[in-house]
Amino acid sequence: MKNILGLFVALLLGVFIILALDTSASFPEFGDIDLTERVSDEYLDGNNIDDVGSANIVTAIVVGYRGFDTLGEVTVLFISALGVALVFGGVPNKQNRLDLKFKPNFMLKTGSKIIFGFILVTSLYIIFHGHLSPGGGFPGGAMIASAILLLYLSDDKFRSNVKGFKLLEGIAGSLFVIIGLLGLVFATYFLQNFLPAGTVGEILSAGIIPIIYVLIGLKVGSEISGIVDNFLTEGESV
Amino acid sequence: MEIVSYIFLIIGGLFFLLGGLGVLRMPDTFNRIQAGTKATTLGVFSTLIGVAFANPDWIAKVIVIIVFVAISNPIGSSAIAKAIYNSKNVPGNLVIDELKERGEDNDNDVV
Repeated sequence: MKNILGLFVALLLGVFIILALDTSASFPEFGDIDLTERVSDEYLDGNNIDDVGSANIVTAIVVGYRGFDTLGEVTVLFISALGVALVFGGVPNKQNRLDLKFKPNFMLKTGSKIIFGFILVTSLYIIFHGHLSPGGGFPGGAMIASAILLLYLSDDKFRSNVKGFKLLEGIAGSLFVIIGLLGLVFATYFLQNFLPAGTVGEILSAGIIPIIYVLIGLKVGSEISGIVDNFLTEGESV
Repeated sequence: MEIVSYIFLIIGGLFFLLGGLGVLRMPDTFNRIQAGTKATTLGVFSTLIGVAFANPDWIAKVIVIIVFVAISNPIGSSAIAKAIYNSKNVPGNLVIDELKERGEDNDNDVV
C-alpha cells in the first residue's frame, strides 16, 4: 500500500514538474521583450548611478532598490541559525568542544592566529567596500566565520565567545530595522536612502548602503560563527 | 617597468611548472609535498611581485597577499606532512626519523 501511494505521489510530482518546466506558453520568446518597459532597465540605467551613489550596481540593487528583500534574506539566515542552535546548542556553561583527533603543534597554533588577523582584516575590507567593489556583507561575513572556523580547527583549546556573537547579531539586526524605520521618518518609505548620495566611487558615498552592508556583514559573520560553534560543541551538553 | 613585471611573471610561471612537474615525478609523498609547496610559494611571490610592478597602485594588497601566503603555505604543508606521518603511511626509506628517535608519541607533539 505504501509503495503504491509513493508511486502515485511521485507520478503526481513528475506531472507537476513537467507542467511547471514547460514554460513555452507563459514566457515570451527569447529576444521578444521590450526591456524599456521593465523595471530592471531602470535599475541598470547609467544615469541612475548618481542618484544611488553606489559604484557597484549589484549592491545598489541588493541593498538600495531591494533592501526589504535583503532584510528577508538576513531573516532566513537568522532562522536557520536559530534552528541549528535549537537542535545542537545546549546549556552553555556545561558545554565542551569536540576533541580533535590530533594535538596541534605550536607552529600550527601560532601561525593560524597570525593568519586569523589577516583574514579578519580582509573580510572587513570586503565588507566596507561593498558599495565600491565586488563583495559586500554576505561574503565578508562568511569570511569572518571561516576565520573563526580556522581557529577552532587549529587550536584544541579554543572556544569562541558565543554570548558576544549573539549580542552582536542582535544589535546589528535591530540597527538594520531601525535604519529602515528612520527612512520612514526622514523620507517616505521603509529603508529609503535618506542620506546624501555623495560622489560615486568614494568610501563615504551611497547614503545608507554602506552602513546597512556593514551591519549585514557583522550579522552574517556572527550568525555563521554561531552555527560553527554550535556544530563543534555538539554532543557534549545535557 | 612592464618588462620587469613580465620577467617576474615568467619566473613565477616557471616555478609553478616545476612544482607541478615535481608533484607528478617525485618518488614519494614527502618529496611531492615539498615540491608542491616550496615551488609554488616562490611562484606566488614572483607572480605577485610581477603584478606589483605592472600595477604600482596595488602594492599594499600585494604585500598583504605575499605575507599571507608566506605564512599559510609552509604551515599548511607541514600540517599535511605531520598528518601523513601520523597516518603511518610513511615511505619505508626514511634515512632520518627524528620524531621516532626522540621517542615522541604521535599524538603528543610539542615542537
